[in-house]
Amino acid sequence: MTRAQIIATRLALLALVLGAWELLPRLGAINALLLPPLSQVLTTLVELLGRASVQEAVTVTALEVIVAFVIAVPLGALAGILIAENDYLSEIFKPMLFYVFSIPKSIFLPMFILVFGIGFQQKVAYAAFTTGFVVLMSATAAVESVKPDHILVARSYGATQAQILWRVYVPSMLPFLLETMRISMIFNFTGVMIAEMYASRTGIGHLIANWGENFQMPQLFAGVIVLSAVAIIFNEAVRALEARCSTWRT
Amino acid sequence: MQHLANVTELKARLEAPAIEVEGLSHVYAGPDGGVKALLDIRLAVGKGRFVVIVGPSGCGKTSLLMMLAGLLQPSQGTISCLGRPMPKPDPQRVGVIFQEASLFPWLTTLDNIEFPLSLRGMPREERRRRSAAMLGLVGLEGFGERYPHELSGGMKQRVSIARGLVQDPPLLLMDEPFAALDEQTRMTMGHELLRIWSTTEKTVVFITHSLTEAVYLADEVLVMSARPGRIIDHIQVTLPRPRSYEMMATEVFGQLRERIWQQIRRAP
Amino acid sequence: MSRPAPATVRWMLLAVLLVLWEVVPMTGLLPELFLPACSKTLSVLYGDRHIYGAALLVTLYEVACSMLIACGLGILAGALVGGTALLRDLLLPVFSSLYAVPIVILYPIFTAWFGVGSSSKIAFAGIYGFFPVMLSTAAGIRTIDPQFLLAARSMGATLSQQITRVIIPASVPTVFAGLRLGGALTIIGVVVSEMLTASAGIGYLVTLNRTILDSPRVFAGILAILVLSIAYYMLARALESRMVVWQSAGRQQQSSAGVSTAAVPAPAAA
Repeated sequence: MTRAQIIATRLALLALVLGAWELLPRLGAINALLLPPLSQVLTTLVELLGRASVQEAVTVTALEVIVAFVIAVPLGALAGILIAENDYLSEIFKPMLFYVFSIPKSIFLPMFILVFGIGFQQKVAYAAFTTGFVVLMSATAAVESVKPDHILVARSYGATQAQILWRVYVPSMLPFLLETMRISMIFNFTGVMIAEMYASRTGIGHLIANWGENFQMPQLFAGVIVLSAVAIIFNEAVRALEARCSTWRT
Repeated sequence: MQHLANVTELKARLEAPAIEVEGLSHVYAGPDGGVKALLDIRLAVGKGRFVVIVGPSGCGKTSLLMMLAGLLQPSQGTISCLGRPMPKPDPQRVGVIFQEASLFPWLTTLDNIEFPLSLRGMPREERRRRSAAMLGLVGLEGFGERYPHELSGGMKQRVSIARGLVQDPPLLLMDEPFAALDEQTRMTMGHELLRIWSTTEKTVVFITHSLTEAVYLADEVLVMSARPGRIIDHIQVTLPRPRSYEMMATEVFGQLRERIWQQIRRAP
Repeated sequence: MSRPAPATVRWMLLAVLLVLWEVVPMTGLLPELFLPACSKTLSVLYGDRHIYGAALLVTLYEVACSMLIACGLGILAGALVGGTALLRDLLLPVFSSLYAVPIVILYPIFTAWFGVGSSSKIAFAGIYGFFPVMLSTAAGIRTIDPQFLLAARSMGATLSQQITRVIIPASVPTVFAGLRLGGALTIIGVVVSEMLTASAGIGYLVTLNRTILDSPRVFAGILAILVLSIAYYMLARALESRMVVWQSAGRQQQSSAGVSTAAVPAPAAA
């Protein structure tokens, strides 16, 4: 299929899904209380975005996401680079990482609540905690992706440590780093959402959990749509950036 | 424009040729009329002969082999192997050995060798008997229960050859089977192949890039031009059999190599 | 002076952690509320073992059911989408874009639709595991060497023989990776959903005890989940290495990198 045909087919499928979302509840095939028609969800969405309380929640969530990210990335990256660079540490910690990834980190959320209470710090701490591990693992992989051959060539031409760092490591790792940022942000966002839905009085996650509990389905769906849209847009934007920077990547 | 190869020497033989190809052309579908892979190929291979095909990359020799194997149908022309066409693969008539051994990693060596037999539903004892015999023929006794990942490149190719031989097809097609091996292993394997071939009476069509390999192994060398591939020369290798490594140092050997090289270089 | 073996260091670290877990609360460095002593946690776990046992059964039941969805459907869908060029070009990018959405925000929808019992957890965890397993299987299917099929055809294999004797055996490592991934993700999904809104299960116990500030019981629940997920991981790896003994040498481990260029995601950090 050509590119145009693919896009056309996808749009057709999307139209089908959206059409079903609109028609099936209206026709009564699906209980409209459980799945409100798309138009109703969209009008609710517009109305919600205008509300001050919703805007406040968005701000809180955004702040948490950013702060957690800013904390997690340097720490995780540092740890990841340390582990990758030091063979001994590598051998010790790398096998542990798989175990760590199998554990549901949400199980530690009560611990964070016991320590920080319910509030901004707790959510940020938890999100940073979960994101940190992802960043660590990605950083390790990124450092290891730099081909030893390249380093050898640079050294044989007399490059200094700093030059090797800037002229070999950084360009080689750049696409990887972008991908790391993108995937870490996905996990970061998830972490913040879980924390907000679990025990919080502010933030979008809390609002969504609330709407769910109170069976306010149009609002719930509206919130889900907005969040999904934001997540997808961010993801695709970074992906486009990655593609620009990594034309040479195999 | 080079003339087609002269194949009159085969008319002297009384038997029908093992392989006959007439007027074969092939075009791969694609934009701008597609890719002309082969142009008006005409050849005949006598029974029991070891024929080597050489040519530059992309000249269509692999496509030609695939058609002889029944894996591909030509756009034009006819193929007959042992007097019958090849509409689809017929492993009891034509055995195929590829450059990649493609041994199934989840099967042991013996299981790999008898795979074609098990496809036909042959009973287990019979299969074992035959595959064990093949294992011995290629010199790998004792390795029957190993898995492919435990074998070296040369050993894997031997297993691949054993697999191609297990149904005792009169015709054997080999597409650069030793290309992925190092030089020394290649020479050993070539020698081994000639040994195996001399104990059977198979007809072999062998593709290679290596001129040395071509002269060392072949009774006849067919030289193909660059794409679209045509046969531009047909060289008889009159070196005595069994071949030996020392022959590689003789003048005759060098002249044959030189002739092939000239043909390949000059071909438009 | 030689360094201790890495494995030894890991065990030492574990031992140190356990000791700290016991000593630090006892000396009062951290309040009992934040970190109850290891011995206290264990004794509470033992004392309430019937409660925890029942909760564990509920959790395991939900994990099993959602694994059926996540792995069963995920592997099938992944094989289909990954194996068919048309579906792959059409759908795979769409699915990997959807991966960016935190699935957890869908959970309130499921509780509204299915209630607070096991069904909502199973639905949620099933979907949570479905996408990564599907993406992983789709990627794995493509690593099957096309030369295998060529060789099989040249040996006269019929289409059904090509599928049963070549494609299926060649897919075994991918399927096992999918099972391991799916199990890990469904455990995470079930735990998260039980913690959020539930009436039974270990996650529910953890939340319940947190709200009444019963730290030892909270930690007992955490410990139970830790043991469960690590046990699953070890079981899955052991099974995988036994079944797939022949793939040891050549192939790259699909799980080695947390980030990869194909859309194969790491188990989620939920």
